[in-house]
Amino acid sequence: MATYDLTQRIAPNLDRHLVFPLLEFLQERQMYPDEQILKSKIELLNKTNMVDYAMDIHKSLYHTEDVPQDMVERRVEVVARLKALEERAAPIVSFLQNPNSFQDLRANDQHYNLQMLHDRYQIEALYQYAKFQFECGNYSGAADYLYQYRALCTNSERRLSALWGKMAAEILMQNWDIALEELNQLKEKVDDPKSFTSPLNQMQSRIWLMHWSLFIFFNHDNGRTLIIDLFNQDKYLNAIQTNAPHLLRYLATAFIVNKRRRPQFKDFIKVIQQEQNSYKDPITEFLACVYVNYDFDGAQKKMKECEEVILNDPFLGKRVEDSNFATVPLRDEFLENARLFIFETYCRIHQRIDMAVLAEKLNLNYEEAQRWIVNLIRNSKLDAKIDAKSGTVIMEPTHPNVYEQLIDHTKGLSGRTYKLVGQLLEHAQTQAAR
Amino acid sequence: MASRFWTQGGSDSEEESSDYEDDVENEGVETTTQTAGSRYLQANASDSDDSDGQKRVVRSAKDKRFEEMAATVDQMKNAMKINDWVSLQESFDKINKQLDKVMRVTEAEKVPTLYIKALVMLEDFLNQAMANKEAKKKMSSSNAKALNSMKQKLKKNNKQYEDLINKYRENPESEEVKDEDEESEEEEEDEDEEFEEDPDNIRAGSGSDNDDDDDGEEAEDTNDSGWVRQTGRRDKSIDKQFKNPSEITWENVNKKFKEVVAARGRKGTGRFEQVEQLTFLTKVAKTPAQKLEILFSLISAQFDVNPGLSGHMPINVWKKCVVNMLIVLDILTQYPNIVVNDMVEPDENETQKAADYNGTIRVWGNLVAFVERIDVEFFKSLQSIDPHTREYVERLRDEPMFLVLAQDVQEYLEQAGEFKAASKVALRRVELIYYKPQEVYDAMRKLAEQTDEGDNGEKAIEEESRGPSAFISVPELVPRKPTFPENSRTMMDMLVSLIYKYGDERTKARAMLCDIYHHALLDEFSTARDLLLMSHLQDNVQQMDVLSQILFNRAMAQLGLCAFRVGLVAEGHSCLSELYSGGKVKELLAQGISQSRYHEKTPEQERLERRRQMPYHMHINLELLEAVHLICAMLLEVPNMAANTHGAKSKVISKTFRRLLEVSERQTFTGPPENVRDHVMAATRALTKGDFQKAFDVINSLDVWRLLRNRESVLEMLKAKIKEEALRTYLFTFTSSYDSLSLDQLTKMFDLSEVQTHSIVSKMMINEELHASWDQPTHCIIFHDVEHSRLQALAFQLTEKLSILAESNERAMESRTGGGLDLSLRRRDQDYAAGTGAMGGKWQDNLSYNQGRQGRSGFTGGGGRSLALGQAGGYSRGQLRGSGGYSGRAAAARGSQMDGSNRMVSLNKGVRV
Repeated sequence: MATYDLTQRIAPNLDRHLVFPLLEFLQERQMYPDEQILKSKIELLNKTNMVDYAMDIHKSLYHTEDVPQDMVERRVEVVARLKALEERAAPIVSFLQNPNSFQDLRANDQHYNLQMLHDRYQIEALYQYAKFQFECGNYSGAADYLYQYRALCTNSERRLSALWGKMAAEILMQNWDIALEELNQLKEKVDDPKSFTSPLNQMQSRIWLMHWSLFIFFNHDNGRTLIIDLFNQDKYLNAIQTNAPHLLRYLATAFIVNKRRRPQFKDFIKVIQQEQNSYKDPITEFLACVYVNYDFDGAQKKMKECEEVILNDPFLGKRVEDSNFATVPLRDEFLENARLFIFETYCRIHQRIDMAVLAEKLNLNYEEAQRWIVNLIRNSKLDAKIDAKSGTVIMEPTHPNVYEQLIDHTKGLSGRTYKLVGQLLEHAQTQAAR
Repeated sequence: MASRFWTQGGSDSEEESSDYEDDVENEGVETTTQTAGSRYLQANASDSDDSDGQKRVVRSAKDKRFEEMAATVDQMKNAMKINDWVSLQESFDKINKQLDKVMRVTEAEKVPTLYIKALVMLEDFLNQAMANKEAKKKMSSSNAKALNSMKQKLKKNNKQYEDLINKYRENPESEEVKDEDEESEEEEEDEDEEFEEDPDNIRAGSGSDNDDDDDGEEAEDTNDSGWVRQTGRRDKSIDKQFKNPSEITWENVNKKFKEVVAARGRKGTGRFEQVEQLTFLTKVAKTPAQKLEILFSLISAQFDVNPGLSGHMPINVWKKCVVNMLIVLDILTQYPNIVVNDMVEPDENETQKAADYNGTIRVWGNLVAFVERIDVEFFKSLQSIDPHTREYVERLRDEPMFLVLAQDVQEYLEQAGEFKAASKVALRRVELIYYKPQEVYDAMRKLAEQTDEGDNGEKAIEEESRGPSAFISVPELVPRKPTFPENSRTMMDMLVSLIYKYGDERTKARAMLCDIYHHALLDEFSTARDLLLMSHLQDNVQQMDVLSQILFNRAMAQLGLCAFRVGLVAEGHSCLSELYSGGKVKELLAQGISQSRYHEKTPEQERLERRRQMPYHMHINLELLEAVHLICAMLLEVPNMAANTHGAKSKVISKTFRRLLEVSERQTFTGPPENVRDHVMAATRALTKGDFQKAFDVINSLDVWRLLRNRESVLEMLKAKIKEEALRTYLFTFTSSYDSLSLDQLTKMFDLSEVQTHSIVSKMMINEELHASWDQPTHCIIFHDVEHSRLQALAFQLTEKLSILAESNERAMESRTGGGLDLSLRRRDQDYAAGTGAMGGKWQDNLSYNQGRQGRSGFTGGGGRSLALGQAGGYSRGQLRGSGGYSGRAAAARGSQMDGSNRMVSLNKGVRV
């Protein structure tokens, strides 16, 4: 099932530390040989300061107790560096921890305060220290320092990277709510045209943001709605289409699972259609089958593949341990909704359907299918009746009244015109005022 | 007379034409066979290549001419004695004619003194006669008439030789002596010193007549021998000046060089002659820098050989020019301390610095400009050569030669770190390659490998045979052979990425267009489309120059063909429809000029247009293009027409197609199809009846399909599409006649698989095109009777119109407040309607999504000025997304905005139902 694995495409857009959870997941699913994964882990760690961890992995990989010399050396170096940075950052840290020190600050002169802090305590050191902490894997410490740094810092570029760092730390600590806040802040920054020199840079940042946000969205309770809100924005959709079409998988899944976002769904189908030649996986193909080609047999096949894909995706296939019974909640939801999609579309174009066929299409047995349909009818989601004698479902033709349609058409017009006039008047006023 | 005839093309003075007339007059009078014969002989002589025999012939001919002239002068003397003006006039005409011949034979710059003497004599005599009134009265009427006309003629004629005559009058003796010299010893004519001051003198004096002659020869003798012979003498004179290699110094070479350059462009300077002189100078140049400088002038002089904008440079000169450029590069690579630049005026004696000089030496020149000019000349020559001749093919074979040069220059510039210039040269290379499919590219590659060896050898021989060996000999450092990658795509990628990195705006845009074209050529539609959309070229193509617009049109045409080949009919149509909307495809693609009945072009316009024509080998086959366009239109329009039988005006996909269809329907008798149009119309008639087989057969019989590389698969695709559309058309047309229809029957009728049919019909149902639903157990389509009554349909149309009205009000408001949309209006007005349309779609970086949406669904109060732009952009996007099918991304919405909003309304209906 490694064919649909996206880790390779996602990883370049993540922070080193953020790749670990993905590798852990892959290891757990045993999609690749253990050895390969361990090796890539060491490679990842080589550039970070988590030398102890690297040593552990090295030991388990080669089943030895010796550690290569360079790792040992590096450890010493890292520790020394840490010490040095700690020393440099000490004054400001103590300053921040001491409530009395606020007396030094003047209440209304922010400029003075900053200048003072900068001269006396070297805020820069704080940043370096926080960064180093992060590199060492001490995320909570890093998060705290970065939070403080951000409040004090004046350099906008530094501030941006502090934001990124904070978000990464929160993600790694799995504080999803806080991470979400950070994400929103960061999004504002990224969308601000002033903070980037070239559109290309901005787009790249957006892509990073989207990749990082995957962690949050698929763990946060409300994430599935938020992911649509974020990804489906034109600017973000453009970024996806240009440079990271693989993200379509997550957006597609979110759309399928989420029932409330139907209006945008149609547009999204078009996007999938356009991107068919640049990205394809069972989930997008499933949508194409149901909504573009109306190939229900194909959709059914794809549904099975989708299940596999979801189970093997680090974001989608998150497990929930329920006593000693592990489930993948997203999979069940996905399958249920996908079934509904097929059925819905199927019903729209049919007048009479054989229950047996329907059951087969829905991957259910006859009894289940019947119960399922009865439920739908009872919840008035479906305007149909079951003919038990011939074993068929009969749809009620739904043709809206012509007059209703006409009324619908014209309803909006008066409101629009009214608004238009309102705006015109307003415009005239501002013109006159000037 | 041949030479005379040719000179008319050149830029010659009136003098010449008057001479010409004289000649004609005389022709009638003079019937001596001898002159005719000799004339013939002489023409022969100038043509023959046999230089050994020539010398003897020349000498005897020269003597003979002089004798003739002397005889005529004697005749004149006799006539004067008896005061016979009629015969005098004849003699005068005769001597003028003889002068021509003498000049041609001796190739002298100077008019023979004998002639001047005669003129002086004649003038004196004339004055005398005019003064003597009594004698004049006594003359017979014919004599007096001759006298008067003689007076005028002489006056006119003598003006040309005024200086010489005066000189002669002042000092008849010395002139005569020199004349004697000249006659007897041609070679000794030019003493060093005299030469230095002579040319100007003589040129000023002997002026135009001489010039005429030169030009005549030049034009006549693009086949070499003539001017080699003529200038050979000149060469010899310089040769003599630099007779002794040891005496040649930098100074006198420089002096001579300055002199030659100064004469450039002056009246009476033979252009070939100058080239020849400079070529000689390159050989005697003392320092590499000097050689370089002279070479630059030489190349410029070679460009000058062809005056005027319309003609092209003679091919052999072009080739020499390329060789010279290669030598320049050789020098530059051998002496990396020489810097070529056109920004600073270098020191006067900069070139004196010898090869071993350590610092940088600056030489004035611009390699890129030269390369571009050479390319332009190549292009021009291909434009003007008849493409159906062998010559054209021969000329095409020179292409690798230029490619080598461009490649070398580019490499040199890259080494020198001038990437911007390098990208310009790279663009030239791209423009020679982008239109070549892989097969043609391979052929060129092979040709380059073969011919180059032959060429090289030839060049070497030529080099050796040419006089003394040069002082500064440069080994051939620069490769003379192009290195082509296996694949044209890799080559394009290489060049194009360089250009994207360093080029300026125009270069980048052109490279992008070439890139798109090339991708389309290789059937990579999606890549080409993405490039097109990402680059925003469509938005600002109107601001580009005409040539780039043509390139854009070509790219669009190729993109359309590509879309068709890969089976994307709607995309293909939207790419091509704009090209065909104005009926000026030929102009838009610069592939010929179509006559328009209503619009007369000024000659100026025509000339401009002719100058931008594409050479034949770059053409996109117009028949194929038309066929593809019409077939795409047919496939879209036929079901569309069937779907909207009443309210037919509501939705027109292709206006062009509709018009053609109307015309063909109006015909009383329809004959068998002849051209592309007829074929498609016949197919359309069959398709409207749902007869897919006939429709396909008709289209299949078009012979343009042989131009397609993967003909089989394209036709296969086409057949499938036709079946599909036939099915749709059938359903649209005959729904009212059926209550139910079985799937089996449909599959059999249209020869489609069950799955396909099911998919197509389902799609129609979902899109609310077909009011029906499946009866699954029996595999039948059940049709619902939901046809609107006429009144209802009209009511719907009314509401649609109303919402359009509201829509346009909003837009009017927008343009008042923000002016975001007037761009599209302006675009529509433009005559040169290349690809326009608001297809920015995907990459258009709108300000904010929300704002955009607001803009579409009505304003929300708090907008104001700052919002307006976002609204405009957002609007176009929302519209595109909404307008159904593929249009969200490419083309489609290029029609009027009105159209788009129309579609949007109907979509709204669909959503709600």
